[in-house]
Amino acid sequence: MAERQVKVATDVGLHARPAAVFVQTAAVSENEVGLTKDGRRVNAKSILAVLGLDVRNGEEITIDSDDETVVNRLAGLVTDTGETGAPRNPR
Amino acid sequence: MTSIVAPVAGKVVGLAGVPDPVFAEGMVGPGSAIDPVRGPGVAVAPISGVVRKLHPHAYVIVDAEGRGVLVHLGIDTVKLDGEGFQLLVEEGARVAAGAEIVRWDAGSIEEGGRSPICPVIALDADPARVTVTAGDEVHTADPLFTWK
Repeated sequence: MAERQVKVATDVGLHARPAAVFVQTAAVSENEVGLTKDGRRVNAKSILAVLGLDVRNGEEITIDSDDETVVNRLAGLVTDTGETGAPRNPR
Repeated sequence: MTSIVAPVAGKVVGLAGVPDPVFAEGMVGPGSAIDPVRGPGVAVAPISGVVRKLHPHAYVIVDAEGRGVLVHLGIDTVKLDGEGFQLLVEEGARVAAGAEIVRWDAGSIEEGGRSPICPVIALDADPARVTVTAGDEVHTADPLFTWK
């Protein structure tokens, strides 16, 4: 089981568009992928569940899966601040 | 089968008409989009259910079967930080399809340099099970698409 706790750096958190990219990235994995905020864990492959968690910029989340590659990829998505170091605008 | 109604009145442009690739390519989910009538208006619930998530510029209603529908009022409107939107219900409220959810003004969104186009998305849905039934124009609460 791989697990990473990260602080969300994307400026709008996991709102509709970044959430969609997050869920699609999670969906590529054959393993179960979980996303936890404030002790509430949801299925990271469900856009409804991820939107319902309402992850905002600056919040701590935990990503877990037996698939370490997907955990690292998802952690990278939410912590990607671009080259300037400033939180990058997801599209 | 779930019947989804138009949250706003306007021209049915489909997801392909959304000026945002993530919505346009169906990455958020299948559904449709409406280019709303400009001017002050009220966006309504697309299905009967519980208001799972309520932001000024977007909301998710979940029906009794657990199916969620997202309504996004305009593109990039998260950055308005709620300005110009008035919430008419509270998160967790049980609403009927057509119930008033958010008061807003598509015209002022456009004047602010953003697209007021409203994607209406069937969340976690199989695209093959979603069929757009609306014609070119819809009034508020007219049938928009079905979700089998």
